[in-house]
Amino acid sequence: MDLESLNWKISAKAGEGVMSSAKLFAKACKKQGLAVFNYYEYPSLIKGGLQSGQVHAALRGATCQRRFLDLLIVFHEKFILDHLAELNERSLVVVNANAFDASKYPELKAKVIAINLTKIARDQGANPLSSNIAALGLSACLFGMDLETMGRVVIDEFARSKEAAVKDLAVLKTAFEITQQFIEKGELQSFGKLISTGVDEQLLMTGSEAIGLGALAAGLQFYSAYPMTPSTGILHYLAARQNDYPIVVKHAEDELGAINHAIGAAFAGVRAMTGSSGGGFALMVESLSFVGVAEVPLVVVEAVRQGPATGLPTWTSQGDLNFILSAGHGEFLRVVLTPGDVEEHYKLAKLAVELAEKYQLPVLIMSDKYILESHQSMPKMILSNQNARFSMLNDGKLGETGLVDGEYLRYKSSENGISLRSIPGQTNALQLTNSYEHDEYGFATEDAVTTKEAVDKRAAKLEALRKDLPKPLYLGSENPEKILISFGSTVNVLREVLLDEAAKNIALIHLPCVCPFPTLELEELVKNKKAELFVLEGDSTGQLAALIKKETSLTNLRSILRYDGRPFYSEDILEFLVSQKLNEQYRLI
Amino acid sequence: MTEITLDKLLSPMQPTWCPGCGNFSILTALKQALVELGLSMEEVVIVFGIGCSGNTADFIKCYGLHGLHGRGMANAIGIKLANHKQKVIMIGGDGDIYGEGLNHLVAACRGNHDITTLVFNNHRYSLTTGQSSPTSAQGTVSKSTPQGLIETPLLALNIAIGNGAGFVARAYAGKLKQMVELIKAGILYEGFSLIDVQQPCPSFNKEQDYAWYQENVFDLDEAYDPSNQAQAMTDILNSQKLSLGILYQNNNRSAYHKGIPQLNEKTLIEQFPNKVDLTKAIKEFI
Repeated sequence: MDLESLNWKISAKAGEGVMSSAKLFAKACKKQGLAVFNYYEYPSLIKGGLQSGQVHAALRGATCQRRFLDLLIVFHEKFILDHLAELNERSLVVVNANAFDASKYPELKAKVIAINLTKIARDQGANPLSSNIAALGLSACLFGMDLETMGRVVIDEFARSKEAAVKDLAVLKTAFEITQQFIEKGELQSFGKLISTGVDEQLLMTGSEAIGLGALAAGLQFYSAYPMTPSTGILHYLAARQNDYPIVVKHAEDELGAINHAIGAAFAGVRAMTGSSGGGFALMVESLSFVGVAEVPLVVVEAVRQGPATGLPTWTSQGDLNFILSAGHGEFLRVVLTPGDVEEHYKLAKLAVELAEKYQLPVLIMSDKYILESHQSMPKMILSNQNARFSMLNDGKLGETGLVDGEYLRYKSSENGISLRSIPGQTNALQLTNSYEHDEYGFATEDAVTTKEAVDKRAAKLEALRKDLPKPLYLGSENPEKILISFGSTVNVLREVLLDEAAKNIALIHLPCVCPFPTLELEELVKNKKAELFVLEGDSTGQLAALIKKETSLTNLRSILRYDGRPFYSEDILEFLVSQKLNEQYRLI
Repeated sequence: MTEITLDKLLSPMQPTWCPGCGNFSILTALKQALVELGLSMEEVVIVFGIGCSGNTADFIKCYGLHGLHGRGMANAIGIKLANHKQKVIMIGGDGDIYGEGLNHLVAACRGNHDITTLVFNNHRYSLTTGQSSPTSAQGTVSKSTPQGLIETPLLALNIAIGNGAGFVARAYAGKLKQMVELIKAGILYEGFSLIDVQQPCPSFNKEQDYAWYQENVFDLDEAYDPSNQAQAMTDILNSQKLSLGILYQNNNRSAYHKGIPQLNEKTLIEQFPNKVDLTKAIKEFI
């Protein structure tokens, strides 16, 4: 019988290459036409410590990791203990060893077999890291996957010398054959034959890559950042695109430099973005306020990890919500987008770049370690993008403007608060982009009337802006018993919940934008529904629930909170829906 | 394009500096230099820091960015990368550029970004009423250091010379003609040029008034070789008085943007992607 889904995990010490093998396994599943989600966990160090990659692939959709594993591959026996809660009677564990003594693990429910993957790699003259390729060969055999597809995935990824490629394929094939022999001897059982639809139209990428790609599509030409997990993926992705697209990526001296480089580039007329995680973003906050008053178009990505301070560098969180909403002294208009799945990261990054230019304000993209570093399949986007310029004098063209000297005013008052922006290099369009409160030209002012007019002008953008913002998403039952409200990456887990029979009386609401808050839209979605409302968020104090209470007429909200650096699990939410009980990893308030 | 004239540069705003402030003559020298270079109004961008010097933003008409205290240099680098055909000038004080923004100064030097920086160095935080600054002499008594400043002054010019800046000069607000020539040379230099302009602050630095400067500045003589990096640093370290002129000039190092292949033919702004085809970018995701 065809296998329509699988849960696969590989676990080793940091530096042993399992991030690559998990990505390749995910890619191979995607090539067979399945939806894929690939979640990684790793410590904040380079060598040693436990690192894992886990792939959930399913024909009907796979939007998050699943707890119970079909296959777990561990490079070191001791790591079995780290995964006991993910194993049941149906699980198989492959230990990279010559032998395994099950009597040492009385609490272990799964079947375990020892296969020396390192030896398989070594016997083919390959590097010990090729144990990962042996793991892929073994997996291909156990799940009845096409070995040739797997081989192509491996070769494409590493693009090494011909000699190395021959070795890689030999390792893959040998591991496959050895596993086959185990099956033939009855020591192992195949999981079945993973279905292959023959249609491979999806793309597989991380949230970070999707943000980078979306921004590129929108004509991003400048990105500056200082490395900080989990925002670094965007820096790496865009830096590597510099040969193919007209973009300059600057690794700045610090986050103060990073955001100010981007401000300078945006002022000079190119579409610019910066990004960091909580601590680095904290350093950018004064400059964010500058962006607000000076009406500079700028996109800022905040890749949230568990804080406070240095916190848990490689673990997820949504705890910076209030900080992002209020970052910056004084009052100024901002947009905070909170994309959910990888596809939405692409779309909202594209939108962010356009909104920033159109409304001349800071657009923040709040995401988190969980989705930024997970691989997820998504439909192929339209590849050909046309980019127009917004709210710019002479559409941003350098040179003659046709204006006469003294005619142009950078901050000219207007009904919708938007004034045409000139850039250096345009004739008769001098202006001063100013961090001081300023008059219509840009000169500093302390005049009371001018100050009030300037504040009102900037605030006036809100009305037009609202029409361009992404709307809340409603999925599931039309007459739900419970509605689960979340923002950002949590929707991935809730989509998985909705796939379950036990969730047939459930609905979800996902908020892809939390500032300006979609007050009317959210109220409309829950109106006349007699459902209990639950807010799911990755913090300990219920920040989103408090925001909803502040911005809407909704009052009867309960919060399901997780704040231990780990993502929500669909199994836990389903258990809650069935039994009203949450396990101790969560808090219900 | 509009040729720069003193008339065009004239701002409708009246300077708010104190009588006798060195800023007046520095602004005069800057305007004169821009006119003498025959530049156009469109090709000059000035970034201003925060302080008395930064307030120059209101007293000159040009494309300007009046940023945050200490961060202007980082803005200037972004502007240059976005449009390297612009002449980018950074104006800030000793507190702004040598204090709050020191890391950005070092980054600008190391990169040899083609930016001309004028530091209005009056050895005080004057806009905040005269506290000691990174260049104040040891022992300086000010409102923030009533017991006398314990720190020694920052050797800012040696930081610049020692960390890749291609052009480092010292000027004095009391010598207008020399200032004009140094500013012109700095703008013409393709790379990072730092011009430290010594200036009196009649309100908050009574020790270093015009009379003090007359005694404590001297012109580098014609035999001085500005290409000798180690000698330039040693001279600054050993000199009791302030030498004026080009202290260091490296003609063998190219500007940062020259090292970016995608800027070889056109500026970044000239390459705005009206059309973006993602075919190549998505290959790795298939």
